[in-house]
Amino acid sequence: MVQHRLPMLPSAGDVPWVASVNGVEKQLNIENNAILLDVLRDQAGSLGTKRGCDMGTCGCCSVLVNGEPRLSCLTLAAEAEDCEITTVEGLAEGHHLHPIQAMFTECGGSQCGFCTPGFLVVTSALLEENPSPSDEEIKCAIEGNLCRCTGYQQIVDSVRAASEILTSGESVADSTSPKSDPHPGFSRE
Amino acid sequence: MAKEGNEDEMVGYRQQPGKLPFAKPGSGGKERFSRPTDEGLIPESQGGELAQPWGSHRHDNLVSGQVIGKPTALVDGRWKVTGQAQYGDDIRLPGELIARIIRSPHHYARVLSIDCSKAFELPGVVAIATGADAANKFGVLPVTKDEHAMAVDKVRHVGDLVACVAAEDEATAREAERLIEVEYEILDSIHDMRDGLKNNEYPIHDRGKYHIGNTNVQKRVFQEFGDVDGIKTNAIASHKENWLFAGVNHAATEPHAVVAHWDPSGRLTLYTPQQVPHYVHRALADVLEIPMHQINVHRTFVGGGFGGKSDPFPHEMCSAILARKSGRPVRITFDREEVYWINRGRHPSRIEMNLHADDKGRICGIETDALIDGGGFASFGHVTTYYNGVLHTAPYEIEAFHYTGARVWTNKPASGAMRGHGAVNSRCAVETGLDDLAEQLSVDPIDLRLANLLPPHSATITGFRVTSIGMRECLERVKEESCWDEKFRKMPLGKGIGIGCGFFISGSGLPIHWDPNKFPHATVHLKIDMDGGVTVHTGAAEIGQGSDTVVAQSVAEVLGLPLDMIRIRSRESDTAPVDLGSYSSRVTFMNANAAISAAMQIRDELLDATVEITGADREKLVIGDRRIFAKNDPAVGVSYLEALHKAQEDRGALVASGAYRTPPMGRVHKGAAAGLAPAYSFSAYVAEVSVDVETGQTKVDKVWAAHDCGKALNPLAVKGQIIGSCHMGMGQVLSEEMRYGRNGHLMNPDLLDYKIPSVHEMPEIIPIIVESNDPEGPFGAKEAGEGPLLPILPAVCNAVYDAVGVRTAELPITPDRLLRLIERKCKTEGIDDQLDLQSPRLAHSELQAVLAARAEEHSKRDLERRMNDDREPYHNGALFGLDPTTPPDEVDERWAVNVIPSDDYLAEPRLAGNAWKHTERRHRGDS
Repeated sequence: MVQHRLPMLPSAGDVPWVASVNGVEKQLNIENNAILLDVLRDQAGSLGTKRGCDMGTCGCCSVLVNGEPRLSCLTLAAEAEDCEITTVEGLAEGHHLHPIQAMFTECGGSQCGFCTPGFLVVTSALLEENPSPSDEEIKCAIEGNLCRCTGYQQIVDSVRAASEILTSGESVADSTSPKSDPHPGFSRE
Repeated sequence: MAKEGNEDEMVGYRQQPGKLPFAKPGSGGKERFSRPTDEGLIPESQGGELAQPWGSHRHDNLVSGQVIGKPTALVDGRWKVTGQAQYGDDIRLPGELIARIIRSPHHYARVLSIDCSKAFELPGVVAIATGADAANKFGVLPVTKDEHAMAVDKVRHVGDLVACVAAEDEATAREAERLIEVEYEILDSIHDMRDGLKNNEYPIHDRGKYHIGNTNVQKRVFQEFGDVDGIKTNAIASHKENWLFAGVNHAATEPHAVVAHWDPSGRLTLYTPQQVPHYVHRALADVLEIPMHQINVHRTFVGGGFGGKSDPFPHEMCSAILARKSGRPVRITFDREEVYWINRGRHPSRIEMNLHADDKGRICGIETDALIDGGGFASFGHVTTYYNGVLHTAPYEIEAFHYTGARVWTNKPASGAMRGHGAVNSRCAVETGLDDLAEQLSVDPIDLRLANLLPPHSATITGFRVTSIGMRECLERVKEESCWDEKFRKMPLGKGIGIGCGFFISGSGLPIHWDPNKFPHATVHLKIDMDGGVTVHTGAAEIGQGSDTVVAQSVAEVLGLPLDMIRIRSRESDTAPVDLGSYSSRVTFMNANAAISAAMQIRDELLDATVEITGADREKLVIGDRRIFAKNDPAVGVSYLEALHKAQEDRGALVASGAYRTPPMGRVHKGAAAGLAPAYSFSAYVAEVSVDVETGQTKVDKVWAAHDCGKALNPLAVKGQIIGSCHMGMGQVLSEEMRYGRNGHLMNPDLLDYKIPSVHEMPEIIPIIVESNDPEGPFGAKEAGEGPLLPILPAVCNAVYDAVGVRTAELPITPDRLLRLIERKCKTEGIDDQLDLQSPRLAHSELQAVLAARAEEHSKRDLERRMNDDREPYHNGALFGLDPTTPPDEVDERWAVNVIPSDDYLAEPRLAGNAWKHTERRHRGDS
């Protein structure tokens, strides 16, 4: 018996596409049926945006479109044209991590880390809107994201810790600042 | 430079008189002083403030108060939160091709022909490979190599690999996938695991002279310890349950992906998110017919493993074959659906559990019969078949133990290893059985357990060597913190509380590849040059559990260095020493031990150098934060960098190699090595649930989770593992299930219908770490990755019983299943309204006091044994009046160990026992 499958839809051809990705204007030629996730990963250089399921169930591909969390695997790139797109790579300022990033490492919010970009993007949007959310509000914000490692508890802890940092107005130290001196106890004049 | 007052008062290092007043080369930091030692991290045995209720440990003198025992962020965490961590699909090499796999649409079929001509005509198609390109078999276990890169002759399940195609882009590859025409001859497939026990015209595999009858039995196990025939006469209470466990999938968030690249020198680099890069390395050499040194396996970041990335996979072979054919890098990334076709999840199982208790409340017998559904391939199944039995022989003392296990091939995606490998389902059956026994005896189930525990430094009925055991403390802690006595059997209808325990290996005593058998299980290399930073080479696969961090912590602790001076290189087989990988919860125990042994060599050299510089007494030297000094006179000492540079004179960088191998242990009967481990972890959970009696919906409200991990090297990660385990176990007990339809089709190969718990389903979890200070573990540590999963399933099942008075024997406990049971109970009891149901109540019998007294007595015994270095041997059976100092089978004939069933048993076998009705082909003389 020979297996027959349906032919694939023909590509509809390339179209120009402009959007701001993490503050940088990207002018690309994309297929007009392209999915935002594919454009971000394959053309806009955002490999931090992860593909987990391709059907909007896991939340790994979450990005911010004009500040709103969106599942990029269910978003046509054309929908995000001329928009401001923020991915996980756009959260830090130079070598100063966003508090939510720092707290995900400090509080165990990230284990294998594959779902982490999605969680970070979604919770940074939450904190932008509501700098001191309750646990219930945090849970509602991340209900569309699946994590298989942490059981979510330390993720909620991380968001709470980040919210404390944000409300106190502190910022995270530059990661390039000098590390431990192997020859301590000596004053260098 | 002006000195600040309080810094002068620090315990910090003072410059030794006569030393040059300028900074050493390589020092570029700005801290003026070492940090004072954190006395809270220094054990009592070394004069610190860390309480040691379990006594001292052999690594106590290596503790420098740096990082061991401190909640520590993962050392690779910053890559993950910035999006810079490269997982399988993030490896993008110039000139890459995208490959797709052509998979079987049939459950079981012969491949008659493959026509690739149309696909080759498609512009952009570069290479196509089929089974003809890779004739050699592979498999994770050397005894059961039964996989091909692509089908040779037969496909064995829907989704089995038939061919693969590499093209310039994904769309072309997908189109080419459609154009490859495969002709099949469909064979009768089997889907019910019970059919696997029967003779069949076309068994799914042919094991040659070892084939069992003409069946699909892949592995069968029979084990009897103790007087099994005597169980019936001793028992006053018996529990019997026939369980049906659905298969579950790891559902790691990262779908499998792989990139293969042959470099210009003709060497292959395979980039793959793998838990066991070394086995892939071996399998690639077999399949590609090249020596292992021609291959570099590069482990990328791994987006969740849980056992699902611990086989060498056919798609990894495919990418290497296509890259070889095309001369270009080839990337393969799975769709989520394909993850379910490769599966290797927990085996669907039918388990008959029989438990017996005698008049003193002792467990006088466990009889287990487990039939497990292996799907199309062997994978780790050989081991799983043993684990379903042998891993529930502890932590309780048992008078007699019977286990029959069989694993059959069916035409489903292969089952394999998954977190809690082989132990989860049967543990659930044992622990709910104990709950039922306690009910029959009218005693408290926690007291029943407390009165039957093995002591520290004992041997189980199957001869496993148990060293540290914190089971008692786990039970006592969860009992107290959950207010058990106020709640158990006392809550209103719909509210319930339940207990479950667990026991798991901390690394497998026998490595999978045990030839040549003196190879270590783990090796760690250190390299330190004049900059002072330590490069650690290890093959341990960091899969998010924190293995890089734990190895870095161990090295930092021994050398007295801050964690930021340690860098881990664990990715490539070219640079990393061979490590067996991240499975069977072996990494912390084995790799940290190897790391400590390597760091001790460097430490010795630094101490020697310090003696040479200062002339201090070597015995008096201690290591603090980046300094080595005399304990009696801290003014005499050198900085770490000074000692290092001295040690480097005339030889350059310091290098060291440390290794770990398990001590000899265990018995000699067939299968004795399965389940042997250098240490075991223990856990006890209490779960509180709410059940809606009108809908059957179960919600877990709170879990108290106590786990004995020996010593929590990184409490943050241990808690993460405990909570994460609860998540995964809760999925299996309440919602996760690989659902196969009437025709054997998998109905939910996606994350929408395969329901893993979301944040709203997760209860509050109180992780409780119990530290039993294992004598052989690194700084006392044992595993914490898999064991914590086991107790959550029975704890929830028992809590559901407490809430509504029905016991389920089928997982997951979905609302429809539970509601049917509730309705049936109402019908048999003649109750019209479910809300009028009575939830179970408990009135203690006389036995309760007996058990409480015995638990008390044993508690004292255990304390004495764990603190007393010179202890008597203790063999399982002492509770039943046998001599604890000799293995009972050596002195008592009735205790003989049987690994072949008797004719009496075969006359009336249980379900899996039917596997023993067939004769191996070699014994029939027809092959």
